[in-house]
Amino acid sequence: MSNGKRITLQQAAEIIKDGSRLTFSGFTIWRRPMAIIFELIRQYRKNLHLIEVNGGSQTEFLVGAGCVDIWESCWVGHELYGKYGANLSRKVAEKKIIVEDYSHAEMLFRFTAAASGAPYAITQTSLGTDIHNPEYDMLGRAGLRDGIRIAKHKYQFTEDPFYGAGSQVLVPAAKVDIAVLCVQQVGEEGTVRVNGQYYSDPEVARAADITVVMAEEIVPEEYLRRNADQNTIASFEVDHILECPFGAHPTGMFGKYDVDGAFLKEFYANTRTQEGYDAFAKEWIHGRDHISYLEKLGWPRMMKLRANTAMNYSPREKKGGN
Amino acid sequence: MGIYASPEEYGLADLLCCAAAHEVQDNEVVFAGTGLPMVAIMLAQQTHAPHLKLIFEAGTLDGRPPEIPTSVGDARCEMGASRSSGLYDAFSIAQRGYVDLGFLGGAEVDRYGNINTTCIGDYLNPELRLTGSGGNPDINSFASRTVFIMVHEKRRFVENVSYITSPGWRVKKWPGGEFVHRRELYGAAYRGGPSAIISTLGVFRFDEQDGHMYLDTCHLGTSPDAIKMQCQFDLDISRVKGETSPPTTDELRLIHELLDPDEIFIPKIKK
Repeated sequence: MSNGKRITLQQAAEIIKDGSRLTFSGFTIWRRPMAIIFELIRQYRKNLHLIEVNGGSQTEFLVGAGCVDIWESCWVGHELYGKYGANLSRKVAEKKIIVEDYSHAEMLFRFTAAASGAPYAITQTSLGTDIHNPEYDMLGRAGLRDGIRIAKHKYQFTEDPFYGAGSQVLVPAAKVDIAVLCVQQVGEEGTVRVNGQYYSDPEVARAADITVVMAEEIVPEEYLRRNADQNTIASFEVDHILECPFGAHPTGMFGKYDVDGAFLKEFYANTRTQEGYDAFAKEWIHGRDHISYLEKLGWPRMMKLRANTAMNYSPREKKGGN
Repeated sequence: MGIYASPEEYGLADLLCCAAAHEVQDNEVVFAGTGLPMVAIMLAQQTHAPHLKLIFEAGTLDGRPPEIPTSVGDARCEMGASRSSGLYDAFSIAQRGYVDLGFLGGAEVDRYGNINTTCIGDYLNPELRLTGSGGNPDINSFASRTVFIMVHEKRRFVENVSYITSPGWRVKKWPGGEFVHRRELYGAAYRGGPSAIISTLGVFRFDEQDGHMYLDTCHLGTSPDAIKMQCQFDLDISRVKGETSPPTTDELRLIHELLDPDEIFIPKIKK
């Protein structure tokens, strides 16, 4: 039944070219496509333009490795396990990265616009804040707003022309080349079933020109089609699929495994300096493949993270990271 | 409500948590962030506000988690929820006007309740880049009331925040950047603004007409004058009602036995 969507982890990373506009599934430290992120770092991808509804550990790994030139988003950190994005913070201070700040809802609505083929979204959020300070249009300051790859304006104000509701903000569609998703199940033809909160996965998948789905398991398409109402993304919205168990580690996946809090704490502690990040990347990423990464992690740790089927999280993993 | 605990029975985090819980009214739709606010809301749900409706930003609607989630993306959020969905639902519902109350945090605040979570120092040459806005400005734009929980230091209660991440009562009108009442900018979407700042020293509220912060109550062991000294702006202390209510013994039991037994967000007092 295969129609040729299956690729390998290496091929998934190769689809993402230097300079790509890239986005991901998930939310902060949940369901991030980490195995592909690590492969991008092994392949020394550069000049990436990340456009994310929100950032998280995946952002910090890529930024630390020097893969990212531009980051458009609203938040980065590791939640309970690291209070801010130390790599991003350092690179901002060194002016090695361009950060364009939006609010969380603005980013979400930007993807909603792109996903519905609209050039922009309209919202009433964040009025009166420095997010709309014209001096703080960083892509504009860098002369990168070509109206082709990057929107001509960061935002525009308009008055409601229909009901007189007052000031509105227009924010440009989040046009991305590639969305990389990490989910529980994908069918052989590309149908995706996300369990638990689906965050902004349907919007980012539809917004992107190319959508790559990495799943814990590839299942018979027919199995997913028996209960089509439970599926999240339609087959033809997905271009490439791959199976990669524990592919989201150290981020968590509903019903499969928890966030590895201890791992993220250690990573965050190391990211306070570039040398610390480099040492961490050398230990965990370079010179390895996904299997060797999991071998290093070890079965005891993976079994502790594994979710209870009835609860969808691991009652063994102590909150806050052991 | 039970009996007030004596000072040696609780810590500052307990006091903040209970003060935050008291901001919740029954039947309200409450937008929850990660951390201490989550404990506070679930405390309210266990005590005086059993019918509150809890929304988690990552996509859980009317959540009733049996235990504290570690963050809003956590699998625990949606156990027992009315609906598990995504960010579009959470934010469109908020923009639609369903949300009564949101709990937020901040690194800096000014006298109008403008909050900074973006950077310390000049945005174009920052001393320290912080996490960024997250949903802070969105909840603060859409909800009828917002409550902030903050560490109180003079360097955080400032004349001008480094960056207005989240809108207070008087905000900047672009392109010029002059301060105007938020009512002027939000038009039909105007629903309210910051209702309280719960700091480690006291509880602060706002005059909604002129947009200024004033001290409402002092925590045990401090005074209006001492708190005024810990603000860079001229804090109004003319309307102080007295001392912040201490936690009750029932509230302390719920926090430490039911909601956060592992002390993830609220440490136990060592007796």
